[in-house]
Amino acid sequence: MASRSWAHARPRQKTTSIFRSEVMSLVQLYIPSDVARYTVSQLGELGLVQFRDLNAEVTAFQRSFVNDVRRFDEIERKLRYLRAQIDLSGVEVYDFFDSRFVSTARGPRDIDDMEERIAAHEGRVQRLAAAYKEMHANHIELIENMHVLQEVSSLFTEITGRQSQAHPRSGSIAAASPDAVPLLARSDTAASRRSIGSMDAAGAFDVELGASAAAAAAATGRDINIGFISGVIARDRIATLERVLWRSLRGNMFLNYVDIEAPIQDNTAEDGAAPVYKSAFIVFAHGDSLRDRATKIAESLGATLYRVDPRAERRQEDLIDTMSRLDDLRLILDNNAVARANELAAVAEHITTWLAVVRKEKATYHALNLFNHDANRNCLIAEGWCAANDIPAIQSALHLATEDAGSTVPTVLHELRTTKQPPTFVRTNRFTEGFQNIVDAYGVPKAGEVNPGLFTIITFPFLFALMFGDLGHGFLMTLCAALLCIYEKKLAWMAKDESMRMFYSGRYIVLLMGIFSMFTGFIYNDIFSRAMSVFASGWAWPTTHGGEGVIVEATKLAHTYAVGIDPAWHHASNSLLFTNSYKMKMSIVLGVIHMTLGICLQVPNALHFKKRINIIHVFVPQLIFLFSIFGYLVFTIIFKWSTDWYARDAAGQLTHISPPSLLNMLIYMFLSPGSVNESERMFRGQAFLQTFLLLTALVCVPWMLLVKPLIMRREHRKITSEGYGRISSHVRVSTEADGMAGAIIVAEQEEMQADDFDFADIMINQSIHTIEFCLNSISNTASYLRLWALSLAHAQLSEVLWSMIFLPTLKITGSYKPFAIMFGFAVWFVLTFGILIGMEGLSAFLHALRLHWVEFNNKFYDGTGVKFEPFSFKAVLDEADDQQ
Amino acid sequence: MGGALVFWIGVLTVGICFGALFMFRSKTDPTLWRTCTILSFASCYLMWGLTYLAQLHPIIVPKRDDLRVEL
Repeated sequence: MASRSWAHARPRQKTTSIFRSEVMSLVQLYIPSDVARYTVSQLGELGLVQFRDLNAEVTAFQRSFVNDVRRFDEIERKLRYLRAQIDLSGVEVYDFFDSRFVSTARGPRDIDDMEERIAAHEGRVQRLAAAYKEMHANHIELIENMHVLQEVSSLFTEITGRQSQAHPRSGSIAAASPDAVPLLARSDTAASRRSIGSMDAAGAFDVELGASAAAAAAATGRDINIGFISGVIARDRIATLERVLWRSLRGNMFLNYVDIEAPIQDNTAEDGAAPVYKSAFIVFAHGDSLRDRATKIAESLGATLYRVDPRAERRQEDLIDTMSRLDDLRLILDNNAVARANELAAVAEHITTWLAVVRKEKATYHALNLFNHDANRNCLIAEGWCAANDIPAIQSALHLATEDAGSTVPTVLHELRTTKQPPTFVRTNRFTEGFQNIVDAYGVPKAGEVNPGLFTIITFPFLFALMFGDLGHGFLMTLCAALLCIYEKKLAWMAKDESMRMFYSGRYIVLLMGIFSMFTGFIYNDIFSRAMSVFASGWAWPTTHGGEGVIVEATKLAHTYAVGIDPAWHHASNSLLFTNSYKMKMSIVLGVIHMTLGICLQVPNALHFKKRINIIHVFVPQLIFLFSIFGYLVFTIIFKWSTDWYARDAAGQLTHISPPSLLNMLIYMFLSPGSVNESERMFRGQAFLQTFLLLTALVCVPWMLLVKPLIMRREHRKITSEGYGRISSHVRVSTEADGMAGAIIVAEQEEMQADDFDFADIMINQSIHTIEFCLNSISNTASYLRLWALSLAHAQLSEVLWSMIFLPTLKITGSYKPFAIMFGFAVWFVLTFGILIGMEGLSAFLHALRLHWVEFNNKFYDGTGVKFEPFSFKAVLDEADDQQ
Repeated sequence: MGGALVFWIGVLTVGICFGALFMFRSKTDPTLWRTCTILSFASCYLMWGLTYLAQLHPIIVPKRDDLRVEL
């Protein structure tokens, strides 16, 4: 690079700094059909082109590649199902990402292969899952059946046992009954056996009933249907069942139940529901109608009914049968589970790769749908925006694609000339990205206009630091941010996490904020609300007198404290008087300078868009207006500070008036121009200067208001009088490309814009602009006083925390002082982090952001751009990851 | 010392900023470095200068009532 002189310090046309957005060009690609997929693939990997939709009038279902998109949708659905199955069964997913397969171009055969394998896997897994479900249901039924068989037998024996106790007569009959032999030895714990219903209320009655039934059975010697229903129901429903049965059958029933100890899974609930405690019950009722009613009631309450044979030996057979079937079923279920696990493990190895490939292919076909598909000519025409600097990279990607496809016909890239507004592409790196984001949140820069993001990198942390100034807090903040920045690769997961995303993406902002806060903390002489005496203080406290309650004054020494605020002020009771005045004035001065920078940024914009009228008739009067009022204020502030108001001449007389109030001076400049009170005059000629400045400001207002519209009208009249109409510059004709047979002429006629010079419109616009500027000049300057307000709040809060929480622990006496200090320090530190750094930090961040977005940006910024979103696989995969 | 110090340090800062215009030619993004350097130096100087000026000829004196007198 040759040595550059000052003249070349302006941005060149193809710049890569973030001062302006990149120069974009509209390119047209002529892609042969067989190379199309590979081309889009390569461009997707590159991520530098934003395709325009050439088929905007066509619905999604009518586009050329809709079938391919559907196909990949189907594959993705299958993969999602497999993924869900893998998650359910707990198989570990290998993070084995076959990057070779994913990133290189994939031939159609590879894709078909993959599709087949996925379909086969999915089919197998589905079948296994269905079989499992069925068998599981069976399993539960068998378990419940087994329990019912077991419990019901014991219930039979209990009844017959009680009968033998109550009625010795029927007891002999009962003894003869085969039911007397208990099937299984069951311990008669009071907790698990409960007879409800008629038994408790009128025990004798039921015993008789049972006795008569048993007697009848024994007498007739045949198996009467004792009329019972048996089944399983959830434990908490048993009381309801009893009540409802009692009411509806009017007491002509007998219910007995036993709790099943092990919980059983509920068949009707979904997979994975927790097992429920159930009870086996048996309801005796004579008469079919009563039994039917009982059946319906039981089933409506969610009971499952199982038929149990009243004869003991049949029950025994049933039980053995059930248990063997259960064993078989368990074996089958285990086999099924193992088979499924194997299948899913095989899938898990490849699933991340497949998902990535499918998403990329889908994105490719979505992009292909945007192109103009010329079926006759066997080629696709794509149109898109890209940065002019990136065109070589795109060319090489196109070559790669042609090689991959094994074709000899090259893809042609053709740059178009257009007046359409391109999307804004600001080429950021990981450092500038955060700052650009906070600018974009307000508005994306219009293509070609000055990007405030460049200046935000320093002014934003600086304004933040003015409000946050504390060396200690700044140090902690820098520490945290430095950790985030140094380990940013390892902490990259934070970018995906909802809560940590903001801190991670803003790590460089926080780092700079911390560094500047350390600087301003050093200047404010504040470290965790304490003051440092790094240099020699400019004040001397008296040594001879003093004491508790005695007011002493410091005397000024010859020198001033070198860097920052004198530590003598820290101990003073009237320190706020000084610091408030100092901070307010500093806020105004820095605010005026910040706004001046904003106004001056209009100049590069005007030069770039070739509107010199804006410089002379907008920028100049605005600057003069601002300076004549607030520039004068800044001047007087510095003047007042530089004057020694208590200097005495040789005779010991005061040479100056007592220090005048600047606020009053400014007010009287407007209220009574041209006359300055003798006792408040700061310098000779002040009255004249003030009048002059006021008149200048007054002149600027009509200048801003009228001159630009009048000049525009005069120019417009000159053009129309010479017979030129307003040409439509929106006809675009694409000529034939080299190497393609036949001419392809695409002429796109956009709507002719009507002759849009409307003087009234322009006049209104200009007057709004002028009024806004003049009023805003006052309110925006005052708005910068928040720099003072927040730094005052921060200092006071920090002071309160120190003196109320930690300092008392240092002053107490007693043996528990160490513990008190430890505890006090812990509380103080936690509150420092939470309130002062966290809350105050966010607050200062917000206010600094407001100052940028409103006070700075409305001086020059348009912010109506559209962000450049290139077709990039990385973005597609990231978005898909986010959605998961 | 006095006000002259502020002025001369100001001249020094302008000189540094001027030099920064030519210092970063070898970087990939000289504009970024230049802008950041100039803005940083300018804002730091402004803050220091204003603080120094504010304390040059103070109008009020610090007062306190808890001075411990050494005997």
